[in-house]
Formats: sequence, structure tokens, C-alpha cells
Amino acid sequence: MTKAVEIKDLNFGYGETLNLKDVSFSIKKGDFVSIIGPNGSGKSTLLKNIASILRPKDGLIKIDNKDIENYNSKDLAKKMALVPQNTNIAYDFSVFDVVLMGRSPYLSRFQRERDIDYKKTKEALRLTDTLHLSERNINYISGGERQRVIVARALAQDTDILLLDEPTSHLDINHQIEILSLLKKLNKEKDMTIILVLHDLNLASRFSDKIVLVNEGTILAKGIPEEVITYKNLEKVYNLDMVISTNVYTASPYIIPLESKRIYEKKRKKVHVISGGGSGVEVVSKLDKKGFKVSMGVINRGDSDWDIGKKLSLNMIEEMPFNGITEESFKENIKEINNSDIVILTSVPYGNGNIKNLEAAYEALKINKEVYLIDKYNEYEKFDFVKGNATKILKEMKKNGLRVYNDIDKLINDLN
Amino acid sequence: MKLKVTKSNYSLIIFLLILLTLFSIILFSTIGTADINIVEAFKIGLSKVPFIKSFISLEGIKNAHRVIILNLRIPRVLLGILVGAALSSVGAAFQGMFKNPMADPYVIGISSGAALGATIIIVTGLNLSLFGIKSISVGAFLGAMITAFMVYIIARVNNKIPVTTLLLSGIAIGQFFTAIMSFIMVIFSNDLTKIIYWTLGSFSAKSWDELIPVSIPIILSIIVINFFARDLNIMLTGEESAKSLGVNVEKTKILILIICSFTTAMAVSVSGIIGFVGLIIPHIVRLIVGPDHRILLPSSALVGGIFMIFADTIARTIISPTEIPVGIITALFGGPFFIYLLKKKKKSI
Repeated sequence: MTKAVEIKDLNFGYGETLNLKDVSFSIKKGDFVSIIGPNGSGKSTLLKNIASILRPKDGLIKIDNKDIENYNSKDLAKKMALVPQNTNIAYDFSVFDVVLMGRSPYLSRFQRERDIDYKKTKEALRLTDTLHLSERNINYISGGERQRVIVARALAQDTDILLLDEPTSHLDINHQIEILSLLKKLNKEKDMTIILVLHDLNLASRFSDKIVLVNEGTILAKGIPEEVITYKNLEKVYNLDMVISTNVYTASPYIIPLESKRIYEKKRKKVHVISGGGSGVEVVSKLDKKGFKVSMGVINRGDSDWDIGKKLSLNMIEEMPFNGITEESFKENIKEINNSDIVILTSVPYGNGNIKNLEAAYEALKINKEVYLIDKYNEYEKFDFVKGNATKILKEMKKNGLRVYNDIDKLINDLN
Repeated sequence: MKLKVTKSNYSLIIFLLILLTLFSIILFSTIGTADINIVEAFKIGLSKVPFIKSFISLEGIKNAHRVIILNLRIPRVLLGILVGAALSSVGAAFQGMFKNPMADPYVIGISSGAALGATIIIVTGLNLSLFGIKSISVGAFLGAMITAFMVYIIARVNNKIPVTTLLLSGIAIGQFFTAIMSFIMVIFSNDLTKIIYWTLGSFSAKSWDELIPVSIPIILSIIVINFFARDLNIMLTGEESAKSLGVNVEKTKILILIICSFTTAMAVSVSGIIGFVGLIIPHIVRLIVGPDHRILLPSSALVGGIFMIFADTIARTIISPTEIPVGIITALFGGPFFIYLLKKKKKSI
């Protein structure tokens, strides 16, 4: 593996405290790598260390297998270009002049731009689709256009490595996609190594080969998007409830943020839901949204209740479809009930396969848990396929303190 | 107002400005209190130009007029050109380096620092000359350097130099040093006219003796400032960009600060504090030739020189035979211009 960038035991601090701690990773040549993380996590700081704008306290950064300290500034500028976060330019340069500045590492102090410099500048303008803006004033074009012009300047630098610090912030969604698609194109066609800091997790997941997740100055996870964009990682870093599904168009992990967990932290009660056949979808998602810690069981894989549990990354006791509940999962279910404050039972038809779930709920009552039934049964529809056994257990339960609700919202309201 | 300027006609612009400068030197030499007509003045002036002099006959021209033109006006005009060019080059470089159109050696206090340094040397009687370097110039340089770094450090907020802090610290330090300087002069000389001429700047009674020692240092340092043209361009695009384009930003800034302090010191040591030239000229020139320092710096130097001798001509003729300090004239132009700039930039402050 040829490495474009290699970082070993990097420590960096603006002042006394360290903003980056023991950072080590390497980036393969030709990879498209996103650095993600919450505000203040150190992701931009990390990029600036790679770009040699900030100097680490200690540790090693190698660019193209050579210690960054051993490069002189012009040689480094031929290896690696940066698109900074702030692209404002003082005074009214033309777009062409700005891009032409990308050639300066190749020119000595007194040298005029050569033909090749003009050629490379035009090529960069063409690649970024900004050639038509050449004569325009850099301060009178749109944000998206200016971002492309700065990318063009970096391309004119003719480097193998391109660093970008949040190239999509302040841009409309169409321009965000435009810039990232352009980078992807450069990555594929010119085999450039692209390293960028991104805020948007979904864009990072969609465009990157590799993702580096930074939190509080350390690398929390790195690898392909599927390895990094996980509920466990993101919950820890962002303290957010989210659903991670798959972007059906790009097959990359896709995050749907739900609600911040911070607001609910204090009153998170644990609720165990016993449901099936889709009867639990509404109550489960509402409970989760309200900040309850929800578990489910026993539930068949592939069931629509199982689907929602998976999306919300809930703790579930699973069983293969058509198998019936084994003694083992029944016991696990009881264990989960034991750990819960509340048990909620939905209205499902009972047969030999799932009667053990109802028995589990009864057990819950016996050990003095609050047990609720969301009663959607009606007298015209048969729900008992176990010869009256289910009806009998339910009746027993009602006698022993099962609380019955017809309205889910009212129930959840009362739980708080 | 905005002309189409491309790299191919940079040389043409410089060539035209040089011609205009030569023409101005002769023109402003002819104007003055002594009643010398233009034809005579031209003849006297051209009689010293190689090649042309063989075609010029000075018959019938009074000797006194010859002395006035050759020994008084021409050195004075040349000194004006040098000082104007120096201050404008420094202004252009500062405006680029600080990314701030309000910067100039006067506004940010360097001229005052240089003047204070020179004053201390004069009053302490250390006025020596060693290998053609006058101790006055050395004092001025030290004063300018100290001021430059003080202002730079005071004005800096998180590695940036905001307009407000730059102006405030520059004006505060500049005024403070001017006050100290005036105080020293009052104690040591009692000659208030001299103080006024020194603090407002003047070319009064300057001859070849003042011109020659500073001419080489000023010309050389203006050339050196031009070496930084590309770096200044790149630094305008932001420090992070500049670093990633291979410019050693911190080192370049310090070098520019030193060379600019030196240039200002040389100018101030002969002319006193002339304000606003370094502010207006680069600004007007930028409007015409654009922000590229490769054309902006040399054009500013030439236009600054022309403007300075224009202002000096007004200064010595407007209430003739009395002369007024040239700094009054530049301030009369520069003050309103400064306010105009502030008003225009208000949004970004």
C-alpha cells in the first residue's frame, strides 16, 4: 500500500491543553477521505496540521513517505494543495488571476508566468467549469462559484493531494453536491488523494472511500463508511437519537437524526414492548421519540415491528420467523422485562408460536412491574388461536392489575 | 474609471508613467516664486541631460536663474519624487500585507516613530556620518522599526489585523511619539517653526546635500519592496491559502515590515512627517491598474513621486513668497479622502 499521508502519535494544542491527542492513521494514495466530527472536535485542526498550517507539538506527519518537516514550503506546495474554509479574498482580483496564483510554487521570485502556467490555469478552470468566469471579479461571483474557483486554484497547483476544509459549508444543496461530485471526479480520473473535513455525515458517507471520525481530539473510528457511520459511534459523539438506514440510491449508510438526547437524559424510563405484526410500530416510535429507552421481544425477524426496532437500533430479543418462541428466548425476554420499568403489550392474535409472549407479560405482572395493554381488540375478530388460553391469561392479568388503554398518546402521556 | 489592464501592457504602463514622471520633474522645476519663464527653465534643465545638452544654448539666461533651477529646484523636486515614491510604495505594501486599505506609514504611526528617532539623534548631537550613512537615518530607522512592531503587536487580534485596532493603535502611538518629539524639540531648540516644518513635513531649503545620501537607500529599498509583489498578491487571498501556496507568511511579513520601516525612515529623515501620500496614491492607482502588486507597486511609486512634487509646488507657491509645509497640502487632499474611504469601508469595520 502506498501512503499519501501518514500520521503517527500526533499531539497538538493551541495553548497548554491538547486539542489533538495521540492521533495516528494513514491515508492511501487515491483515497477519498472525509474527516467528520462534531463542532470543536478538532477535525479542522487535524486538517491544518496535515496542511502544515499548524505545527504539531510532537508526533510525525509524512507526506508521500517524507517527513513534512523536511519539505521546504514550495516543494510541499507542489505535493499538496489546500482549499481553506475562508475563501474571502481582499481586493478585486479577477478569477483568472486568483487561479493563476496556484502556479506560484513553480515560479521563482522574478520569473514571469510561462506558457505552461497559463495552460495549467486554463485546464483547472475548465475542469471546475469556471472558465467562463475568468474575467469576472472574484468578489462578485456567487459562493458556489467562488468555492469552485478556489478548487481550481488548488488544481492549478498540480498536486497529488488535495485538502479541503469544509468545502460545502455556506453552500446551497445543489452546490454542495456539485463540489463533491467534482472532487469525486478528480479523485477517479486524476487519481488525486482527496482529504476533506465535512460537517454533513450523509454527504461524507455517500462520497467517501474512508471516513475518520474525530471526537474530543482523538480518533474514535476510522474505516469504510459502513464501519464508521454506526449508531454506536454516532450516538456517543453527537449524543443524538437517529435512525441509520441505507440510502437506496447510493447504497451508503444514511442517517436520519431524530431528537437530541440531551433534553431527556434525566427521565429516561426503560420500557419493554411485547408486540408483533406491526402492532407495535406506532407505540415504539412514539416512545423512542419521547426519550424512553425501549426494548422489544420476543419478535420475529422481518416482522414490521422488527424493522422499526432495527432502524431505531433498539435492543431486541429476536426469533427466526415461523419458529415459535423457544424456551431460551422466553428466558431472555423475562430477563429484559426484569430490567425494565414498564411493560407494554399490544393487541396481537395469539397462537402456539407466540403465546409465550403473553405468558412473559403475565410474569411481569407477577414481579410487580407496571404492565399496560393497548387494547385494539374488537369482538368481531378472533385473536385467540390457542383454545381460549390467551383469553384466560388476559382475564387473569386484568384481575391482577393490568392497565388497559385504548389511546397510545394518552398512555405515553400518563407514563411520564 | 476602470481601465482594462492585462499583464501584457504592464510594461507599457510603467513606460508611460516614467515619461510622465520625467515631464513632471521638468514642469514643476519651472514653477516657482522666482520669475523664471518656462522656456528658460526647460533649457536650464535640459542643459544637464546627457546628449540633449549639446543642443541647448543658455545664452541670455541670468546666472541667478541657473543657480535657482540647478541648485535649488531640481534637487528639491528629485527629493520630492524619492520621498513620494518611498511613502507610496510603503503604503501599497502595507495595504496588501495588512489586507487593509487604511494602512499607510503615517496612519499607522511609523512616520512619527521615524521622526522621533531622528529628533533624538539631532538634539543629542550624535549627528555623525559614517561611510555615507547618517546617524539621523539610523535613528529614524530604529524609531520606525520600534513603532512598526509595537503597532503590529497591539493591533493584532487572533493573528488578524482588524481595521479598527490597526487605526486606533497606529494613531495613538503616532500621536504619542509626535508629542514626545515636539516636547523634546521645544526643550532643546525653542524654534517652533522648525517643529512645525518637521512634524508636518517639508522640502524647504533642501539641496543636493540632503538628496544624495538618501537617494541610493530609497531607490534600492523601493526595488526590494517590489521583490515581494507576488507574495503580497498571494497573501491577499488569506494566510492559510498563502501558506499552502508555499509562501512563508510570517517571515515575509517581518521582512516587509523591516524593509518598509527602513524606506519610511529614509524618507522621513530628510522631509519630516508627510502624511496621507502613502494612503491615497496606492488606492487611486489600484482603482486604475487593479490589485496585482506587480503593477501596483511600481505604479504607486511613480504616481506618488509625481503627486508629491505637485503638492510641494503648491506648498511653495500658494502664498508665495512664504512657504508652507507640504504635509499641509497632502493632508488637505488626504483628509477628505481618508474620510471617504472610512465611509465606504464602514460596512466591513
